[in-house]
This record gives sequence, structure tokens and C-alpha cells, in this order.
Amino acid sequence: MLREPATVGLTPVEFLVKLFTDPAAWYNANQLVIAQMGINALLGLSIWVTLYCGQLTMANIGFMAIGAYTTVIMAIHLHTPFAVNALAGTALAAGVAVVIGLPVLRLRGVYLAIATLAFGEVVRFGVILNLGITGKGQGLNNPAAEPGTAGLLPVLVIVAVLTTVFSRLRSSKVGLACAAIREEEVAAASGGTNVAAFKLGTFVLGAAIAGLAGSLDARLNFFIDPSEFGVQRAILILVVAFVGGILSPTGPVLGAVLLIALPEIVRSAQDYRYVLYGLALMVIAVFRPKGLIARRSGGRRTRRQRALGDPVSDGV
Amino acid sequence: MVSEQAEVDGNGVIPPLVEVTEVSRRFGGVQAVNSVSLSLRHGEVLGIIGPNGAGKTTLVNLISGHEQCDSGSIRLGGATLIGQPIHAIARLGVARTFQNIRLARELSVLDNVVIGHHLHRRSDTMSSLLPTASARRARAGLHETACGLLALVGLDPKAVSNRMAGTLAYGDQRRVEIARALAAKPRVLLLDEPAAGMNRVEKARLRDLLTAIVAGNDLALILIEHDVRLVMEMCDRIAVLNFGCKIAEGTPAEIATHPEVLTAYLGTTAAAKPPPPPAVAQSGRHATAAGDLLEVRDLHVAYGAIRAVRGVSFSVHEGEFVTLIGANGAGKSSILRALSGVIPATGHAHFRGRDRGIDLTRTRSPKIVRAGLVQVPEGREILGKLTVGENLALGGWTRPDKQELAREIDLFLQRFPVLGQRRDVRALQLSGGEQQILTIVRALLARPRLLLLDEPSLGLAPLLADDIFAIIRDVHRDGMSILLVEQNAYRALELADRAWVIETGLVALAGSGTELLGDERVRASYLGLEAVTGDR
Repeated sequence: MLREPATVGLTPVEFLVKLFTDPAAWYNANQLVIAQMGINALLGLSIWVTLYCGQLTMANIGFMAIGAYTTVIMAIHLHTPFAVNALAGTALAAGVAVVIGLPVLRLRGVYLAIATLAFGEVVRFGVILNLGITGKGQGLNNPAAEPGTAGLLPVLVIVAVLTTVFSRLRSSKVGLACAAIREEEVAAASGGTNVAAFKLGTFVLGAAIAGLAGSLDARLNFFIDPSEFGVQRAILILVVAFVGGILSPTGPVLGAVLLIALPEIVRSAQDYRYVLYGLALMVIAVFRPKGLIARRSGGRRTRRQRALGDPVSDGV
Repeated sequence: MVSEQAEVDGNGVIPPLVEVTEVSRRFGGVQAVNSVSLSLRHGEVLGIIGPNGAGKTTLVNLISGHEQCDSGSIRLGGATLIGQPIHAIARLGVARTFQNIRLARELSVLDNVVIGHHLHRRSDTMSSLLPTASARRARAGLHETACGLLALVGLDPKAVSNRMAGTLAYGDQRRVEIARALAAKPRVLLLDEPAAGMNRVEKARLRDLLTAIVAGNDLALILIEHDVRLVMEMCDRIAVLNFGCKIAEGTPAEIATHPEVLTAYLGTTAAAKPPPPPAVAQSGRHATAAGDLLEVRDLHVAYGAIRAVRGVSFSVHEGEFVTLIGANGAGKSSILRALSGVIPATGHAHFRGRDRGIDLTRTRSPKIVRAGLVQVPEGREILGKLTVGENLALGGWTRPDKQELAREIDLFLQRFPVLGQRRDVRALQLSGGEQQILTIVRALLARPRLLLLDEPSLGLAPLLADDIFAIIRDVHRDGMSILLVEQNAYRALELADRAWVIETGLVALAGSGTELLGDERVRASYLGLEAVTGDR
């Protein structure tokens, strides 16, 4: 599902040196890698939005598929410009998110993750493989592909804009409400926060970003097919967000850059990239559960204190 | 201190601000709240007291929307609260704190207070993106409000506002919860055990703080608290709950002398019951001859900064019935949990002899159970989704003799037909008393040498509690050594050979059960009655 690397023949040192000595040539040689970083950063941001509000949802790969197929189908049949197609893909993903979010967001924790993961498979096997207009399992040729800078630039701009916006919103009323729901849902509700509305809102926003990522990704390619939107990719999105960290929107961006760059730089790791991703997730979960970008705490609870729990609720 | 804004009806009579009418709530087999009515006026402080499991927190949860009523009505001002989501009830003016602190631990103290201010905060989504002078002013004003509230609850805003809430000391976390609740500018403030885990000095400061809050804000206060002395000092009126029912309501002076309240707290008196069977006394005499089955010396338990048990020593002889009694929060359950190895402790607790036995403070719980020390935990802790039979089978989990175990289970099911008839019923569907019998039998199936019982009468109606105590007495007569922790002091003392009274983590009194039954100091220790009799 990830495209062939473009840095054939370069050693890790050459790869890095070239970035600084001849950035233009480096960019030309690595456009596919940069595009992958950008698309995965967007997907990471799409799941980050829900994680920031305390929900682990895995449906974003399904929304990405909706965005991608909508864009290509409109390009084939309606010949509408990309901006219209992308808007339609984003809106359709968001609309579907409202419909499935209403019942599904009553679930929590691992049940929510399982139900939303299943949604991605429903889109892939249930809809795409059965709907004639999607080319079923054969995939679709994209007549309006823009693999170069024209396709890449919007991705990078949108990543930058979203990262800035989310970063600034964290201390706003809605940002703090999301953090409060994540940290202590009951208390947030008691403070007057409409928890259900915020959960649905972040879920739909995440779906819209994933749909947009699908549209942008489809534009970069001459061909899309259902195998790109499987469970493996869904998990990669989660790894991207988790490795970077869920407290700051720069987390998933950093996660995408690192996880895509690493196998490119270390050529021998190429064959083992999924092993690498799995290991990264395990190491992060154990040693830095809040991700690489995490605020330093003013004092840590010891492992024992955590195990002890709350003295009063447990009855002193 | 009735507010000027209080609505006055046509007759000039001020209608109550909060009106709770015959609300009920049932959990499985337990009637947690049973047709309780209350009313509260502007500026009033209402205390809700009652023994553990009386339904106090459930009642507050019903008002704040965290639980749904089965029946009854709750009104605030003119609006009904029944069926409304939590945030809508908050919008109508209800704010609360939580018995088990619910702060956003990983967020700053300041942010925690601002979370409480959500309803009154202007939307700033756009201005956050494009920082303008007015946005900065709004942000500064917000922080000023939050810091003012932190100062009001006795915290130094400069020192704490940027710290993560979870890193504060326990008493300070309770203060932040109060500040967060006040940030919502409530009309009704519900405080669920704000003094839990505080020492006397902290409690005195909390009392001053609450008095200042009621005086300085236009609100009514509902205070749930186990420290009866604090409630008596703070409240205009007190309602007493027991087994989910309101058994009394009145001024502090009325409540302090109310006979039913004394019974609720201390249990039924020995005088009202048939004389204790002679077997108890006999087994006590027999016991003294044998050696120490359990010897506890200088036991300490701490939860972070809170020292729940501060150097307790006692012993249990082979075949003896020992009880630890004391008011809620005295540290009784912590002692049992430390002995079972569930929580860490320092000091010594030698089980089955100093030389050949084990020191419970240095042994992990599975080994403790195998050595023969088995606990019946507080709150029963049945495996609700498993059947009665499955719960019992798990009681003998560590035993190798599965056939003998199956035979014993059958015997117990015959002996306790309430369980026998429900063998394939989910344990959740049993009543509270039946669940308690189940946990005792489950513990016995592990073949203990010493049985620890933590509040077996918790939340049980008197007749059911009688059944449970009869079962415990029979088990003891069969030769079992027993260590019982009970709030129902009189009943425990009737059964016990020896007893220790625990107060704020220390041994306050010790003696034989009969000696302590007649000791006035036991009553004082439970009710903090000095406050009422003039000793402030």
C-alpha cells in the first residue's frame, strides 16, 4: 500500500546530507516520501482530534476511502474540478460520521475501537466491493491525477494550517472542554459540558479530515484500489498519532514524519517496516504512554500509588 | 440568610429552592434510595448523614443527574430535573463535588477550575485563532476569576495554578473540586464527603471555608459527611438516611438525641435482644488458652500523604472472635486490607506464629490466602455476572481437592436454601443479604484458619443483618477464628470475645466485648458527641 521508495541507491548519510546541501534536488527525489508523510500526518490529525476528546475510534480509514472514491468517481463521471470533488468527499465522510456516530459513540474504550474498526471493513468489503461504480475489487483509474507539486502542496499547506489551528484551540473553551472530557468525563458533564455533543462533534471533524486526506491522496495517484484501505492502514494511522503524542497536534505530524522517514533512511529496515511500526507502538506505550510530545508533569504518581487507587472511594 | 432574589409566591411564603419528592432508586437486589423527600431553601445548609451504604451518595447522584430515579420527582426552582442529562442539570444551577475526587489529574489546577466555569465562558473559538487585545483581556479575566476562587478555597494561586491537579495533596485536591464547583456559580452546591481523609486541623479549616462560601454566595448547600460533629456544627437542618429511607430530619440538637439515629449508627442494643448464647463465652475462654493465631504490632498504612493507620497493635487467638469497631474512616478496613496483602503496610503482622508462620506485611496476597487468611471484603464484591454456583466454585479456586470441594458446596447449598434454590441464578440478582451470605460461604470454601469480615451488615435492613450475624456466630461456634470489622458496634460487641475501638487510625479503647458494651466512650467515639454537649 505504501509506494516504492524514491531514494534508491542512497545511503542514510547521503540521504540526510543531500537534504541540507541541495534541498531542491532532495525534494524532487523524495516527493513520494514527502507526500506519504503529509497524507499520514493528516490521517494522524484526524484520529488525534477524537483521541484528544478521549475516544479511541478506528473508523477513519473508512472515511478516507469514502473521500478517495468520491473524488475519483466524480472526476470520472462528472468531470468536476478537484476542489468540488474534495469538498464532496469531505462532506460525505462527515455526513456518514453523523449517522454512525449517533449510535456508536455510546460505546466506550475497547468496544468503541472494535465497533469503529469494523466500520472501515464494512466500507471496504460491504460497499466498495459490491458497488459497480467503484470498480468493485478492481480499483479505479484516476483521470485527474496530479502526482507532482500541484498535488503535494495543498497537502502540506492543510497539514500546517490544521496543526496551527488545533494548537491554538487547545486553551479555548471548546479545546479545554475536550481535554476535560478525556481526563474526567463525569466532572466535565457536571461543569455543564454537553459531553455527547462534543464526542459527536470531534468524531465528525475527524471523519471530515480523514475524508479530505482520502481526496488529496487520490489526487496524487493514477489509481486507487480497496486494498489501500484495510485494517493494516487503520492501525498505521493509530501508530502515527500515538508515537507522536496525543496532547499536541504536532505529535501526529512528527509521528508521520518519523515513521515514514525511518524505513526510507535505514534501507535495511525497509522489509521490516511493519515490524518496526509495531515495535515503536509497544516501546511508546510502555515508556512514553502520552507519546513523544508530552508535557512534563509537575510530579509523578508512583506506580504503587496508581495501583493503590483512591483511598476514599476504596474505603479507608 | 434568605436571598433577596428568592421567589416569593402570592401568599408571601417562600417556596423551597429544591424539592425532592418520594424518589426511589434500586440497584439489582438493593433498594438504595427508598421514597425519600427533602426540601431546601435559599441560603440553607442541609446535612445528610447516615451509616455506610445508607444511600446518601445515591441520593445526591439522583439530584445531579448521575443516576436516574426509578420514581419520584425532583424540582429546582420551577424546573423538573428528572430525565435531564447531567449538563442540563448543571445549567439549571446544580454543582457538586465527588466522594472519590474527580479532577482532571493531568490538567493544570487552573484549567480544572476553568472547566467548572464552562457555562459562563464566552465562546472564543475564533478569537483563539486570531489573538486580539479583547481576546487577551477575556483570557486574563478568566484566569483572574479562577485564581480568585482558588484563593477563596484557601489555596495560593501563584503556587498551585500551573501544577498538575493530580500532584496536589489530597486535602488540596478536595479544595480544587470545591473551587471548580463554585466556578459554575451554582444555586445549589452538593458536597459529597468533603472532609473525607482530612485531619482535625484541615476539617476546622474546611468548616470555616464552607461557612464563608454560604455567607458570600447566593446558594444553598447539601452536605454529605461522615464526620457527624462537622455536620452538627455546619448545618441548619439534618436529614438522616438508613437503608435508603429517611428516618429523621430536624435541627442538629434534635438529631443528636433522636433515638432512631443512635440506633442507626450504633446498631441495636443488647438490651433489646435475647441474651447472647453461652457458647460464645465458652469459646472465648477456650481461646485464651491457645496461642496467637494473628499478632499485629505497630501496623501503619498510608495512602500517599494520608496516614490511615498509625501504629495499631492487637491479636487474635486460635478459635477466638475478635472485632475492630469505630466510626467510618477510622482505618478499620485499611487494617483488614493490609492484613490480606491487598495494600502495602509497615510494621508486623505475624500469622500462625512468629517463628514458623508468615509476616503478612511482607507476603503477597495469594500466599496469604493459601496460608489460611481469607477476607470477606466490604461491599460484598460478588462476581455479579457469574451464577451463584460459579461464585462458590471460585471460592475454592486454590484447593486441589475438587471432589471434596464439590461435596462441600452441595452441603452449603443445603444449609443455605436461599443460595441452593438460586444456584444457577446470576449473583447480581440476589438481594443484598443473599449476596452477603454468598460471600461468606465463598470465603469458607477456601478453608480459612482465620476469617476476616469487613462490614458484613453494610446496607442491610436490621432483620437481614440479624441473619448474617447469626450465620457468623454459627461459623465461629464450629471452631472458626474470626476477625470482624463492623460499624454496628453493639452487635459486634455482643458476639466478640475481645474488641478494639479504632479512632483516626489509632487504638482508642480495648477490652472484652462485654466490657465495651457498657462503655459510654464507644458512643462518643462514633458520634463525636462532644460537639453537641458543649465541648468545642
